Amino acid sequence: MATLKMQNVTKQFGRNVIAVKDFNLEVKEKEFLVLLGPSGCGKTTAMRMVAGLEEVTIGHIYIGDREVTELPPRKRNVSMIFQNYAVWPHMTVYDNIAFALKLKNLPKDEIDKIVKESARLAKIDMLLERFPSQLSGGQQQRVAVSRAIAVDPDIFLMDEPLSNLDAKLRVSMRTELKAIHDKAGSTTVFVTHDQSEAMSMADRIVIMKDGEVIQVGTPNDVYHRSRSIFVADFIGTPPTNFLNVEIKKESDGVHLVNPHLNLLLEPGIAKHFNKYNKNHLILGIRPENILLVDSEKSALSASCLVVEPQGSHQIVAIQLDDNIIKAVASAQPTVKTGSDVHLNFKQETLRFFDPDTTLAIND
Amino acid sequence: MTTKIKRQFKLSRLISKTIFYLLITTLAVTIILPAFFLVTLSFLSTREAYSYPLPLLPSLKAEYSLTYGERGYLLSVYDNFDQEYQTVLDTSELDKISVYMKSQISTPYSISKLEDRIAELENGPEDIVYFRARKNLWLNYDTFFKITRDAVPALLRSFQIAGLTILVSLSIGGMAGYAFARYIFPGRDALKFSVLFVRMFPGIAIALPMVIILANMGFYDKPVGLVLVYSVGSIALTIWITASIFMGIPESLEEAAQVFGATKFQTFLRITFPLALPGLAAAAMYAFLGAWNETVSAIILTQFNPTFPVVVYQALLGAVGNVNLAAAGGLVMAVPSLIFTFFIRRYIQQMWGGVTI
Repeated sequence: MATLKMQNVTKQFGRNVIAVKDFNLEVKEKEFLVLLGPSGCGKTTAMRMVAGLEEVTIGHIYIGDREVTELPPRKRNVSMIFQNYAVWPHMTVYDNIAFALKLKNLPKDEIDKIVKESARLAKIDMLLERFPSQLSGGQQQRVAVSRAIAVDPDIFLMDEPLSNLDAKLRVSMRTELKAIHDKAGSTTVFVTHDQSEAMSMADRIVIMKDGEVIQVGTPNDVYHRSRSIFVADFIGTPPTNFLNVEIKKESDGVHLVNPHLNLLLEPGIAKHFNKYNKNHLILGIRPENILLVDSEKSALSASCLVVEPQGSHQIVAIQLDDNIIKAVASAQPTVKTGSDVHLNFKQETLRFFDPDTTLAIND
Repeated sequence: MTTKIKRQFKLSRLISKTIFYLLITTLAVTIILPAFFLVTLSFLSTREAYSYPLPLLPSLKAEYSLTYGERGYLLSVYDNFDQEYQTVLDTSELDKISVYMKSQISTPYSISKLEDRIAELENGPEDIVYFRARKNLWLNYDTFFKITRDAVPALLRSFQIAGLTILVSLSIGGMAGYAFARYIFPGRDALKFSVLFVRMFPGIAIALPMVIILANMGFYDKPVGLVLVYSVGSIALTIWITASIFMGIPESLEEAAQVFGATKFQTFLRITFPLALPGLAAAAMYAFLGAWNETVSAIILTQFNPTFPVVVYQALLGAVGNVNLAAAGGLVMAVPSLIFTFFIRRYIQQMWGGVTI
């Protein structure tokens, strides 16, 4: 196992397409790091550069103390799980797992031992003589996993390995992959566009957009202290609600005001604006931090547009002009569509964003 | 009401089924009949081959009668269609009779045996003796190789040319196909299309320039000249077949191999090549059949070193020309391509565990 360091890495395709821009990252030993972002954000390209499948335009990549920037893939001692599994269809499961070991010219009995051990870890030790086409998607995925474990790599790379599985299997494979990671104690870089996958698996999440790193942090960091509107919107289901508001300083304190809303900020919250000199901002509030209250405590009142019952809770949607606000409320009492709802916010969870830079004001 | 609908349904099903089977039968007949005709013809004796109507199956023996004629002995053959003996020869020379029996009826009969029959005729109670002779079914094949100009060297030459054509077109066309499938470069599609241009010209149209060019290169009337000519056409086809096969192999399979320790060459050898084998086999089959069967260019581009199809073609011409001999030659020519096709078919249909990539 080893650390991974990417220093000022840039990848340019052709003349004008910059897939990854000045990417800096350090992955600690045994860390499970997730690269998260919408499709086309450069997360896969970044990972492929680590594997050596893409050349680095500018910058350096180190695995442990070795610089691997110019090395071919086979000399980097990484292993990779591909989105489409990439198990070789003309080889049995056994041969798939043994492929890398045979190339290393290991003795036969040692290969046999390693293959069986890693197959057992991925729970496919019953399928060693089968061909991949005789396996289900989930089993093929396990072959890919066990093939990746077998080589005992410095870095584990996983390129959206769960996206081809059905929803239920995906969730259970998450748990297993994480368990295998913990057992093998491997440094792992995991690419996904599924934020819930990232949240549930990652030690740290790197959120990328347009080839640039937007935020790096633990799942809690990126969720509760989103650094920009993009992150706050991308992480969480339903995503953060945003309200355009005006700052009004009055005798009783700081008010955030828009045609629907008049929110008097608690003194501790208002101090975030000390250095902020514009009079507009974008207020971000997570759905579970919106409270359904009685009319006298209301900061915001509107009629309910839709209720989405979820069993354990309900999602209440209200419409303000062309903006839909979603709040997560406890299952009881049930809210009726069309009825008036009164909302207030847990003020300590509020995020304030600069409308021009889209970055957070408080942190 | 419902029974009426049922009946209508049954009727329309009956009609469509009938039409279907009629079409299938027609198709089968048009494919099988010429092949059947060729096989039968190659086993017929010359007399049978030129008789009317043509027998459906070759006979296995001939029934003769021998009697006294004006010039010596009168030989008659029983004709199965007319159901009577027909006089074919009236001569006193026994070797003439023997040659006739062999060359025309395909029943080798030695002179000493003929002498026995004549003794029977002279000592017998009647003026006529009947006897049978067994037909040598393979006589046409034997004769074909004996009378045509160097048929055996031509056969070997054809094998050599077909083999080399496969080698050249698969190595060059396969690599080009891989490049077309994997790399994006300016003018790729135009280039890929342009390789088909060479197949758009009929061979006969470019024959004369071809002769001149090959003569200048010193390859006229040499197998290597034909290999070049055939390769041009089959490279184009190979490129298209292999490009589509390589495109069907996900790049991630190759990338995985490289990540897991293989060099680019090992990746090709262990991953890409085995996965592309069905396509390469198909391309090899087309290259083989193209080179093996090609006649027009071979006639023009060879003189003293013909290929086997040229020899078969020549068997139809001139004094030695006989349709049954040509049919025998044609069948000899068909057998290797049949064997090759059946052999290669296994690879074309090869799948791993029931499903392709």
